[in-house]
Amino acid sequence: MKMIVVFEKAPRLRHIGHLDLMRAMQRALRRSGLPLRYSQGFNPHILLTFAAPLSVGMPGKREVMEVPIEGEMTGEAFLTKLSAALPPDLPVLSAVPVDDRHPAPMALLTAAVYQAELETVPENFGEMVEKYLAQKEIPAVRKTKTGMKPCDLRPMIYGLTLKGNTLTMVLALCESATCKPDLLLSSLFEFAGTERPRALITRTQLLGEKDGALVPLESL
Amino acid sequence: MNEQENARLEKLLETVQKPARYIGGEMNSVRKDWDSVRCTFGFCFADTYEIGMSHLGMKILYYLINQRPDALCERLFMPDADMADKMREENIPLFSLESRKALNHFDIVGFTLQYEMSYTNILEMLDLGRIPIFGKDRGETDPIVVAGGPCAFNPENLAYFIDAFMIGDGEDVMHELIDVIRDGREAGLSRKDILRNLAKLEGVYVPSLYDVEYNEDGTLKSFAPNDPAAPKTVKKRVVKDLSSAVYPEAIPVPYTEIVHDRMVLEIMRGCTRGCRFCQAGMLYRPVRERSMERLLELADKLQQSTGYEEMSLSSLSSGDFTCLPQLIQALMDRYKEKRVSVSLPSMRIDNIVKQSLEETQQVKKSGLTLAPEAGTQRLRDVINKGVTEEDLIRSVTDAFECGWSSVKLYFMMGLPTETDEDLQGIGHLAKKVVDAYYSIPKEKRSKNGVRVTASASVFVPKPFTPFQWAAQDTLETVHEKQAKLRQYLKLKNVHFNWHESELSLLEACISRGDRRICDVIYAAWKRGCRLDSWMEHFKYDQWLGAFADCGLDVAFYAYRERPYDELLPWQFVDAGVTMAYLQKENEKAKQVKTTPDCRHGCNGCGLHTWGVCDWVKNPPLKGKAQTAAPLAD
Repeated sequence: MKMIVVFEKAPRLRHIGHLDLMRAMQRALRRSGLPLRYSQGFNPHILLTFAAPLSVGMPGKREVMEVPIEGEMTGEAFLTKLSAALPPDLPVLSAVPVDDRHPAPMALLTAAVYQAELETVPENFGEMVEKYLAQKEIPAVRKTKTGMKPCDLRPMIYGLTLKGNTLTMVLALCESATCKPDLLLSSLFEFAGTERPRALITRTQLLGEKDGALVPLESL
Repeated sequence: MNEQENARLEKLLETVQKPARYIGGEMNSVRKDWDSVRCTFGFCFADTYEIGMSHLGMKILYYLINQRPDALCERLFMPDADMADKMREENIPLFSLESRKALNHFDIVGFTLQYEMSYTNILEMLDLGRIPIFGKDRGETDPIVVAGGPCAFNPENLAYFIDAFMIGDGEDVMHELIDVIRDGREAGLSRKDILRNLAKLEGVYVPSLYDVEYNEDGTLKSFAPNDPAAPKTVKKRVVKDLSSAVYPEAIPVPYTEIVHDRMVLEIMRGCTRGCRFCQAGMLYRPVRERSMERLLELADKLQQSTGYEEMSLSSLSSGDFTCLPQLIQALMDRYKEKRVSVSLPSMRIDNIVKQSLEETQQVKKSGLTLAPEAGTQRLRDVINKGVTEEDLIRSVTDAFECGWSSVKLYFMMGLPTETDEDLQGIGHLAKKVVDAYYSIPKEKRSKNGVRVTASASVFVPKPFTPFQWAAQDTLETVHEKQAKLRQYLKLKNVHFNWHESELSLLEACISRGDRRICDVIYAAWKRGCRLDSWMEHFKYDQWLGAFADCGLDVAFYAYRERPYDELLPWQFVDAGVTMAYLQKENEKAKQVKTTPDCRHGCNGCGLHTWGVCDWVKNPPLKGKAQTAAPLAD
């Protein structure tokens, strides 16, 4: 069976890169004494998949990973053992056992919620956000593996709301279409015609699709 | 740090290289409540996080201090250049990783001295940490700045900056040192009185309690205590029984990659081989082994607490560990299921170890590094490196048969009595290693093809070695020899690496330096020198300028052979090995005479009178044939 695990990457660890975080999690799994599964080959490593890599500099409130294990066990038992092996800034929040045939979280991923804490908010920025969203098309240029490519951001934005200094963004995150929060902020402030303030962006939730609605990825 | 400083730091971390080095919070790092302890210790490593976090001594002492309910220990590392500059710009003090406390808030600030070319970093860290650089300028509320580690055996080159040195095994003296400072602070004693009390501890040297005079030719005239609390000689501390000594059962596991990212099992301390260039081999005497029982207990605890996937055995000469094959076997058996690999960084490859090699390979194959040190038998005899060419060729042949294809060979150039023939010998040896590979049938050897890397470092004479009186080759000579070696090593499948000779020259000046070297280090730092062991930051011209500023000459410190009757700056330190023994060894070197490993019988180095060497009465190899010396570093 395998466990669908939700964990937090606390702000203190935001400078840790994806591969370093993977290694930290693998070491935690080793410490936990859980019945893990290993890859084949000369240098076997623990089988473990993150639903979506988290950029350097970004904390994550509810990140999702899949951990295949040997035999059967309850989510609670798994959670207790793994919790004991993790440092305070990397807590696990839930674990749900699923069958090996259950699709990988990565395959179910559709979008993510990001919260940007803006250091300063320009005047009438709320209105700007609404106007920005009202556009039919939002042309932008995004960096891809093969170079800079023009794209339309509008269909990749599921939501954009401002509350105080917090800008909440729901953006596409899947194999076919991904809008990085950084790109959106740049585009938005360019539209608003003001300089982009410093912002700490946190990914607060990964989302999947169920009956045409976006739901927490771990609930699928 | 206060809130504003914290906020500025958070912002700053977004703009520096590898910010993960400055965040702390690693598994097994210890964060205690500052109000709950009576004494705080800021443990400083004078190099960057990835170097410092690889260091075993720091892990031992971090664990030892944090075991005390009345004390806490937090870590501080040298920030990289970009970080250091930005911290100055933003007025952020050097801070500990655990609680982000500024360095000057600790009761005790401790540096571990691992290599001389990190000394400008000590000044940089003190300055960033808002502590006056010179001991004499520190006030009653400033921390007591202490230092230990192998380089503390000649403490004079840092005498102006460090309030007290711990000489010898740190875990033996640390508790006493903390007690004295804690009690002194609580009793409201003056800084001077606390230092006096420290000087009364065995193994502690307080430089401000000693006066130094020089002769007109610049040599040392006299060295004497100026205070009744200070002893004439300072005797190094020795952990008598390693098995009952404190060893960490948990070590911080970094998030970001460091140089040696694995758990380390120190299987023994000291070395009986007696290589004449080797400072560690003399300083860490006598040899003390940890028991198998204790090692396996520690291995299990470390494995469980860290989750590391790799374990390495550490000592000066692991191949000499009495139960090495049994230990390796036991570790392999334990960790096969858990996919933990065991690597042997320093090993002697003989028939016993060949078997272990094959076992190592079962789990993971690590690179093969051998250190013949010199190119001819004559010179190897001079330095007492008891390795023959036959040993070396047999070892690499064994390794090639086990599937190895790349071999690193370490040599030194500029050793006493070295001639062109010795340099040519390095070329011959490298060629023979390549030939050894081709002597193995194609189907048995690796398909990757052979690659031999020969590295030649420049010999640096070190205190407390038989060569402590020797002259170092001049830069000119070194450059000529390097050019020749490049010719001799222009061989197929052989790659030649050489070291920055300017760095070795400065290392030689500092390592045998007297107190006046403190002024040079200060002047160099003032001229912008720091992170000197990082080639991109090393400023040789500024160092030369610093010598000139102080009216001192590198030739006096590096190129000059000392007569036996010269008073040496480190002579007041009793390292166990006597000056008479070192002199005798130096004379034997000149006569190309070797000295056997003392496990065959006591050679009378001096430690036999201390009652700490188990093997004086019962040498374990008495009457047995001599084995090849360790080939690896």
